[in-house]
Amino acid sequence: MSTQAVLTDDLFAPEVIADPYTYFGALREIEPVHRNDRFGLWLVTGYEELVWILRHHELFSSAVIRHVEAPPYPPVDAADLPLFDEIRDFRANQLVEQDRPEHLHQRGVVHGYFTPKAMERWRPFVRSAVAELLDGVHAKGSMDVLTELAAPLPVRIIAEMMGVPYEDRDRLRAMADGILYINRGEPYRLRPLARAVRGIVDYASPLVRERIVDPGTDFISVLAEGENRGVFDRRQVLVNTGLLLFAGHETTMNLICNGLLAFIRNPEQWERLRADPKGMARLATEECLRYDPPVKSTQRIAAEDVEIAGRTIRKGESLRWIMAAANRDPAVFSDPDTFDIGRQPNPHLSFGSGIHYCLGATLARVEGQEVFRGLAERFSRFELATDRIEYQPSLQFRSVKSLPVRWPA
Amino acid sequence: MTKPPRRVPAALDIYVDHDRCVGNAMCLTLAPGVFAHNARRQSEVVDPEGDAIADIIVAAENCPTAAILLSDAATGEPYEV
Ligand code: HEM
Ligand code: SF4
Repeated sequence: MSTQAVLTDDLFAPEVIADPYTYFGALREIEPVHRNDRFGLWLVTGYEELVWILRHHELFSSAVIRHVEAPPYPPVDAADLPLFDEIRDFRANQLVEQDRPEHLHQRGVVHGYFTPKAMERWRPFVRSAVAELLDGVHAKGSMDVLTELAAPLPVRIIAEMMGVPYEDRDRLRAMADGILYINRGEPYRLRPLARAVRGIVDYASPLVRERIVDPGTDFISVLAEGENRGVFDRRQVLVNTGLLLFAGHETTMNLICNGLLAFIRNPEQWERLRADPKGMARLATEECLRYDPPVKSTQRIAAEDVEIAGRTIRKGESLRWIMAAANRDPAVFSDPDTFDIGRQPNPHLSFGSGIHYCLGATLARVEGQEVFRGLAERFSRFELATDRIEYQPSLQFRSVKSLPVRWPA
Repeated sequence: MTKPPRRVPAALDIYVDHDRCVGNAMCLTLAPGVFAHNARRQSEVVDPEGDAIADIIVAAENCPTAAILLSDAATGEPYEV
């Protein structure tokens, strides 16, 4: 059966953006490795296939931005196209876009900062940041979860890790918010994005200069140390400062929003969490990550011809691996479309797999656990204050545009 | 919370939890004499004495999913990294 006959090939179709699970789930059942000619992409939706690809980094390059010439999509104002090249250059220099051997050297510089044990030490700070945000809204009876909790929290944590002085927090927040335009559909979006990228370089440059000679315990110092050791040049230090600000922002934001939305739509799971917030927070966070993952898909490029699931991906062709579909593969997860916060084991792929496995995974987990625990301890119930949840038109991120909720006094 | 200093075991039992290992390969870089990838690109212990104890501990610490579990080979006591 031809997939084209039954399914649209428009990956930005409103119904695909609104509900990627039905669409990519259908693709996974028909053809777990599928060619989409309209976008010139292979779409990988099967769990086994996806893990195999991610664990074979020598066959699938991460240097996507450098090699893909496609213009921005959805389209942008033509006058802004020069900005696109500037932003591409910034992103192409980030750790996540490198292949071995450079990737190994660069990851070696930052990896030790993010070990599970080191991140566990941040839990008290995360908990107090959550408490402060929740105490601030509690009496209001309503909030937009996105702008009042999910967006500010990760920036606060990252700012602390960067060692940014308190009075600069708002400036950092503005840059972090600017970077979110990467994932939007507005035709003017390259302008706030380029402003944010330049803002980060301008802001971080003097901090890096200081820390090259006088390192502290923050992670700009860790990156600066990488320059001292000859692994990074200055541009890479700045660009990776930007990566950390970005990689931990939109992703964590989505974990919080998508997770809370799942709880609102599955009240019996919310009651289960409320019965034991501290005890259930860990497994519940994993299930939120699996069920409605912050990142729906990301990209690779075949480094040589590869045969997989009966198809041949040619050298140089692009593929997207769609963890949103693999996380619901019935070959691995029973009742995959059910939100079950007791699910165990839960080998979801929301942080990727292989050598690029999310550097911030433990931190993100700690943040998710403390948020869901903090919410369940303080609030008896939430209801949606809208009848329509809208998502950003992105293939990569599963981002609500807003999440207005209210609660009984 | 400060804990009393621990004695590092003279020999380690090393176990890789394959429900957790995501094939990040950090352990292969940090203790290449001990760990190797299998066909699924998950880590296996090929020689528990293939590297210095200190390197094995560093490898376990740096596993991003804490999949490497160590214990004192003499007493069986878990050695938490
Ligand atoms: C729920 C939150 C998060 C999710 C779902 C997530 C997801 C991911 C995924 C899927 C990848 C792999 C990309 C690829 O293989 O192409 C990745 C990589 C990465 N993540 Fe995260 N992430 C989250 C939070 C964070 C945080 C909090 C940080 C840092 C503070 C972070 C930093 C990074 C970095 C630096 C990489 C690149 C690693 C490499 O290439 O070796 N992430 N993340
Ligand atoms: S470092 Fe951990 S996740 Fe990576 S291969 Fe070794 S055991 Fe597996």
